[in-house]
Amino acid sequence: MPVEELRILTRHLGQPQVTERSGYEAVGGYQSLRKALAMGPEAITAEVKASGLRGRGGAAFPTATKWGFLPKGVFPRYLCVNADESEPGCFKDRVLLEALPHQLVEGTLIAAFALQASHAFIYIRGEYRAQRELLDRCVAEAYAAGYAGRDILGSGWDCELIVHGGAGAYICGEETALLDSLEGLRGQPRLKPPFPAVRGLYGQPTVVNNVETLSNLPYILEHGGAAYAAHGTEASPGTRLFCVSGHVERPGTYEVPMGRTSFRDLLELAGGVWGGRQLKAMQPGGGSMPVLGPEHLDVPLDFKAVADAGSSLGAGALVVMDESTCLVEVSMRLVDFYHHESCGKCVPCREGTYFESQLMHRLEAGLASADELRTLADICEHMDGRCFCPLGDTATWFVMSAYRMFRDEFEAHCGAGQCPVRAQAGRAA
Amino acid sequence: MTAEVQPGPQPVTLTVDGRAVAVEPGTLVWDACEKAGVFVPVYCAHRKMEPVAVCRMCLVEIGTMPKLQPACATVVQEGMEVRTQTDRVRRFREGNMEFLLVNHPLDCPVCDRGGECDLQDFAQRYGPPRSRVPITGKVHFDKARALSDKITLDQERCILCWRCVRYCDEITGDRSIVLQERAVHTVIDTFEGRPLTGEFQGNLPEVCPVGALTHTAYRFRARPWDLQRTVSICPGCSYGCTLGVDSRDDEVVRFVSQDNPEVDDSWLCDRGRYSFPELNRSDRIRAAELRLEGPLRQVPALEATAAAARALALVVEQSGPGAVAVLGTPAMTNEEAFALQWLARGVIGTPHLDHQLAEWPGLDPVEFRLAVADLERCDTVLVLGERPELATPVLSLRLYKAERKRGREVRRVAADPDPAELARTVRDRQLVGVVAHEGDRDAALRVAAALAPVNREVRRLTLTEGMNGRGCKDLGLLPDLGPGYVAAPAAGMGGRAILGAAAAGRLRALVVVGPNPELEADPAFEAACQRVALLVGVTTVPGVLSRHAHALIPGRTAVEKAGTVTSSEGRVQPVRVALQPRFGTPPPELRLLVEIGRELGGRWTGEPRATPTFAAIEAALPAYRGTRGGLRAAWPQWERPA
Repeated sequence: MPVEELRILTRHLGQPQVTERSGYEAVGGYQSLRKALAMGPEAITAEVKASGLRGRGGAAFPTATKWGFLPKGVFPRYLCVNADESEPGCFKDRVLLEALPHQLVEGTLIAAFALQASHAFIYIRGEYRAQRELLDRCVAEAYAAGYAGRDILGSGWDCELIVHGGAGAYICGEETALLDSLEGLRGQPRLKPPFPAVRGLYGQPTVVNNVETLSNLPYILEHGGAAYAAHGTEASPGTRLFCVSGHVERPGTYEVPMGRTSFRDLLELAGGVWGGRQLKAMQPGGGSMPVLGPEHLDVPLDFKAVADAGSSLGAGALVVMDESTCLVEVSMRLVDFYHHESCGKCVPCREGTYFESQLMHRLEAGLASADELRTLADICEHMDGRCFCPLGDTATWFVMSAYRMFRDEFEAHCGAGQCPVRAQAGRAA
Repeated sequence: MTAEVQPGPQPVTLTVDGRAVAVEPGTLVWDACEKAGVFVPVYCAHRKMEPVAVCRMCLVEIGTMPKLQPACATVVQEGMEVRTQTDRVRRFREGNMEFLLVNHPLDCPVCDRGGECDLQDFAQRYGPPRSRVPITGKVHFDKARALSDKITLDQERCILCWRCVRYCDEITGDRSIVLQERAVHTVIDTFEGRPLTGEFQGNLPEVCPVGALTHTAYRFRARPWDLQRTVSICPGCSYGCTLGVDSRDDEVVRFVSQDNPEVDDSWLCDRGRYSFPELNRSDRIRAAELRLEGPLRQVPALEATAAAARALALVVEQSGPGAVAVLGTPAMTNEEAFALQWLARGVIGTPHLDHQLAEWPGLDPVEFRLAVADLERCDTVLVLGERPELATPVLSLRLYKAERKRGREVRRVAADPDPAELARTVRDRQLVGVVAHEGDRDAALRVAAALAPVNREVRRLTLTEGMNGRGCKDLGLLPDLGPGYVAAPAAGMGGRAILGAAAAGRLRALVVVGPNPELEADPAFEAACQRVALLVGVTTVPGVLSRHAHALIPGRTAVEKAGTVTSSEGRVQPVRVALQPRFGTPPPELRLLVEIGRELGGRWTGEPRATPTFAAIEAALPAYRGTRGGLRAAWPQWERPA
């Protein structure tokens, strides 16, 4: 039986004018918000808890639990929507922002009401300009229809909805850096504790949720948390968007039930490895996560199963690499990314990613010695777990996992004077 | 009043490398380690600033936590086990030191900081034995970027600890230094590239743990191991900041701050810090000169004091003691002031005595009941006009701390505000502070009187001019008050009146102990100098006094003599000899004044040196007893209501 998508989150995808308020309302849009306003904050949170929804930004923290960390009786409090999608290999939020922006607006308002937030801020990455324009229009439409602003739908509840664009820094996807950037400061992670739930935006209790997380709320409110949870497994409830890219026939975003789908299914949905080539490696979760090999194809898309395999579902990506890929070259490209995006706040990340990048370039060019390869491993050891925020830690994960899995390939680069993999494949540098 | 005994918070006990230590709840692991006698290296952490945990140097093992934790930002918990000497920590420190040096220029041989640099020290102590970074692989930045006329930044040496950024944010509040760019290209710079303008820039090179921020005036001037440090008091104003005088040979090379939490909180102002070149003047007065009979001739100092005494005796004999007036300077030490007071009232017998020109009535020790550190305890602090902060700049930092860190209300009002208006809004406070310059003493009195009935307690802090303006007043260098603010037997003329009388020919002799910039700048002084028959001058600085003195006696600069000075808040602090006397250095002023007095037949018991003289002050002035180590004098007047 061919593998099929299960469209829950993307059920309205492709409906006529669904990016406009009228089109979205025609498919039942904003009914969940009405329902939510009638249910009240506690009932909404209970429903989200029942759904087992976990954060889709990468950390997979249970959403209802996160909401529960807000100290009682402290106002104003804020909701921030993390639309700063910038993980290499991830483009799922982009789909939601482009194709179903009203669903996000509705989900945001539901969450804001559940939290009794006075303001909801959608922080969208700077490069998403067209998506930002669309979102601005949707927010204006929501205001015009009385879904946002003063006395929302006659409920007496006020909530301002504000879209704010970033300036193009990967680190601003980290929730505390996002808050600093939103406040007009330099986007850099904050010292924790205090956590945002206690002292977040402008020093007030704040929840930061991912676009995909909140886009699930209209469905959960419409059909109930149990119905949502039933789509996945107990440990990994619901469906999830996966961005499949790299050496596949049909790169794209696919929604599948969690736990019941494997990497093999996902690869099949994307048409398999291109040109009939062999799978060499794959990276789930986005640029931060450790590499997996063909032996992991049957691992189910389940938080725990992937963790046991030594990686993570992260932000829901799958980068597929065929047999011609040089893992040293891929590592170099990823290290360059982290070196470029390091915010410069802490020493191990700022200097370590630079040092790492220098060595990776020498290694890929076949100029590094075996000593330098050991130095590279040392650097990664000194960075991992010692940096201020996960950016620096994760800048080592792919390299180190690739080094472990493809040790021969890394060692073959030492003193080779060129990239042996590319030389074999007849590819120029 | 019954004292309420507050039970202190239950201490938290933890172990550091196996040593048990008990600390207050909320203490940072870093501080607990120090208390346990375990040194933890840091770059970004600073005792006066909030933790940021960016340098990672202080990462330690804590209990069973899987990751190493920053000691500078982790709060202690009961039963915590901190380990700082494990192989894991040692290996990490080595790795982190390697990171810190990846892009460091390693130009220690030409760096001002070499020898007193944390980067150098920790590289030796914790760093890897050799570099694995090719020297060609470093990122390069500006090596000499002028942030202002005072501060030069070497961006390559910067390790981005954020101390300067936090200093400008948390301590001065001007936010003038910011981070620019990102990743390994991150640099610190001034906001929008504008030159620094603050009055506290000189603290920046001190908070910098490496050689990045440098004093422009000190660049390439000395190596720290060639310098001699003497802890003394800043001669810049009456705030009483403690400082280290760093000298080489016979020259002061720099002033550095020393932390006195009660006064300066480890900060100096630029006016004080960069005032040291004044002490190195090559034209300072070194030789005594006599112009009494015949042409000018240079003589040894003690010959000049003898000649001056003879001439003074003649004036007193011919015209009586009232024909002599004595002017001191708020720059003189307590011991000198005490001797000068003795010389004027006790020996010559003149009531005409002062240390300044302005007359400020209503002088009373109650005016400095409020301690500087207690500004942080006031619910509301009223600052009258701009003059307090102009006179004693470091006060501004204490006020900002009270506001920012303690959440106190600091209100800057007019120099002469409407007291009734203030009493309407400042009421029902536990403690109100009224801060004023001594020139606005009467206004401060009116404000305090209006606020006292509607608040629990009102205390005043009055800032005096000159390094020891307070001590001169305490010790009775005043026309109408003797030591301890007790009415003098006979009220004489004050500074301004003395100059007028001298210029009008009503005084025959003037004894002036300088240097007194206020006098030197006043045209009436020159007129007075020209008219009197006898001008005895003791000073180090050439000017009006040295030009006109019939007997010119060289003195010593603020770093060449010992003694005590009293700050505006009444704190009695020692000044020490930083530049040792060499051949040709004149005797200290204290000895010179006593010699003149003795020549005139006065009785001075004991050696004319600082320590026995202070003992004499303690005997004469009970408020000063036991204060010499840097304590505030305890005035009986403080016990009665303000």
